[in-house]
Amino acid sequence: MCERCVVIPNRLGLHARAAAQLVRTANLYTSDVRIERLDGSAAADAKSLLSVLMLAAARGTQLRVRAEGEDAEQAIKHVCEVIAAGFGEE
Amino acid sequence: MEAQGSSAKAEERWQGLGVSDGFATGQVLRIHTGARSVYRATLTKEESEEEINRFREAVEETRKRLLEIRERAGREIGAEQAYIFDAHLLMLEDRSLVGAAENYIRQEGTNAEWAVRVVTDRLLIAYAQIKDDYLRERSSDVEDVTRRLLTTLGGERSLKQGLTEDSVIVAEELLPSSIAELDFARVRALISDAGGWTSHAAIIARGLGIPAIVGVRDLHRRSRTGDSIAVDAKKGEVVLHPLTVTLNEFKAKEPHRVFSNVAVEAGATEAKPARTLDGVEIALRANVELRAEYEGVRRYGAQGIGLYRSEFLWSLHNGIPSEDEQTEAYAEVVRLAGGDGATIRLFDLGGDKAGLPEAEVERNPALGLRAIRFCLQHEEVLRRQIRACLRAAATEKSVPLKIVLPMVSDITDVRRARRIIAEECERLKIAETKCGEIKTGAMIEVPSAVFTAHALAREVDFFSLGTNDLVQYILAVDRGNDNVAAWFRTLHPAVLRSIDYTLTAARVHSIPVVVCGEMASSPAYAFVLVGLGARDLSMTPSAIPRVRHMIANIDAESARRIAEECLRCDTADDAEELIRQRLSEGWPHLFSPESLPTPKSADKI
Repeated sequence: MCERCVVIPNRLGLHARAAAQLVRTANLYTSDVRIERLDGSAAADAKSLLSVLMLAAARGTQLRVRAEGEDAEQAIKHVCEVIAAGFGEE
Repeated sequence: MEAQGSSAKAEERWQGLGVSDGFATGQVLRIHTGARSVYRATLTKEESEEEINRFREAVEETRKRLLEIRERAGREIGAEQAYIFDAHLLMLEDRSLVGAAENYIRQEGTNAEWAVRVVTDRLLIAYAQIKDDYLRERSSDVEDVTRRLLTTLGGERSLKQGLTEDSVIVAEELLPSSIAELDFARVRALISDAGGWTSHAAIIARGLGIPAIVGVRDLHRRSRTGDSIAVDAKKGEVVLHPLTVTLNEFKAKEPHRVFSNVAVEAGATEAKPARTLDGVEIALRANVELRAEYEGVRRYGAQGIGLYRSEFLWSLHNGIPSEDEQTEAYAEVVRLAGGDGATIRLFDLGGDKAGLPEAEVERNPALGLRAIRFCLQHEEVLRRQIRACLRAAATEKSVPLKIVLPMVSDITDVRRARRIIAEECERLKIAETKCGEIKTGAMIEVPSAVFTAHALAREVDFFSLGTNDLVQYILAVDRGNDNVAAWFRTLHPAVLRSIDYTLTAARVHSIPVVVCGEMASSPAYAFVLVGLGARDLSMTPSAIPRVRHMIANIDAESARRIAEECLRCDTADDAEELIRQRLSEGWPHLFSPESLPTPKSADKI
């Protein structure tokens, strides 16, 4: 099990377009990828858009990304990169 | 022509929230996007296996339809808007929706519709707890997908049928996928019972420039397809069964509508200049941005493209478009324009819109690093766009291609841009890439450009007069700010004198001027422009017939005399009053009272 923490940097937060990008990224890997709010109030399957949207992660929300499986490390790295880049938004 | 206003039904007025400005009149087309009542059926074990198959087929069918919609939206509206359908596709593949629905059918032995409803309602309850407004509104995306799925299960087809030339869409809720399916060229306005400013539907409507009003409660239930309707999205006003007088009042304000006495045949109109009674020729060109507008260029007989707003490509490609993408887009504009030529305006955007990482939030973007300033600051962006223009110019030698520099405020802007153009031309030649010829012009839209017009005219091939920004910058009035709407006066003497000064400077130095602001699309204002000496107007394609009709029925000499009187006015009120009197006395058949500036006493301040 690997994990890493990341903060939502873009103004609109983890909205549909951003979440779609995240889910597509997670789906590139075979590992199970989960995302939790650091405050423990919600957790999501990173491969399910509906689940990720339920995190209601606005700008500044702290998240923990965990993955388990063969390519767990690459999956976490890639997912965190996408989040840290603000999904290509301001 | 049917006597629309004389129907027996009483006029009904409704108030909502305008989310995309504009006026429209037309016929109601009701579409069902709202919650439909879903019944519950109980199935045997074998039947529920069949039901799961039926459900899977519906999911597949919906997926295909969404793929089509996404492709079309990406092409016609822009990648940013198309992305939402990516999200919809993912939802459709999502275990917590599709998997849960299948399980429900299997375990509870219900029909697919019921299962979909139950599973979605659970999701929606969870979404309703979300505190952030923007994120909470995403629940409408879940509903959009669900309804599309239910529609497919019900065996209904998409709503392409039934669109007339003047459809005003009335829905319980405007869902992005329903909007993306519409033929935008035919839709006059969108109205919904529910919805908000940040809904994707509102964003798409604004992107397409279609008037839209949301939150008009109960309108969907009270209206019938075919009912006459009038819309003023700026005020959020909707009138059902409008009286003739109301209808005329709205029609006069509506920019996309042709006067009923102007015949516009379907298909192409010959592209030729309009000619006044005393034989003065006025070129009429098209302003375009979205691909959805291209059709209008031939249909309304535009003499080429007078203004292509290239910054649209940023939203289409979700960031800076590549050189090849740009070349292709400009080559298409060149082909569309034909022998009359095309004018491409270089990226008229600021760092905020471009979404560049280093973009600081500017305190005053209208006066900030934007347009040609932005291009010069990000030289590689400018060079790339110029190379694309030069390459596009080589594709059709018979079509003259011009580029215009937006928001020039100093001749140095022009000199720097021209040097870069010359360098890129050299580079392409050295690389043996085909490179066409382009002419370079300056947008005249800020006061400093007006006052240096004579010097500018010696260094550019042509002027483009952008009247929207010119009014804004000359009068220091933000046209998006309702608090100062009373100060936004197109006929303000300072505006008219700026236009006059610019046209004169161009005449003295023998360069052409194309007037490409909204002013050109209003017959009354176009009359003033012709009077001031404008001979080349560019406007939204659908406005061409009514402006052509106006020009064909006036004489340029009278227009000149009236415009000169206007120039001598001291206030905007005086100028508006003068235009109102002269036009309604001289050409009552061309200018209905509603198409003229509103009398001061009845309006404003």
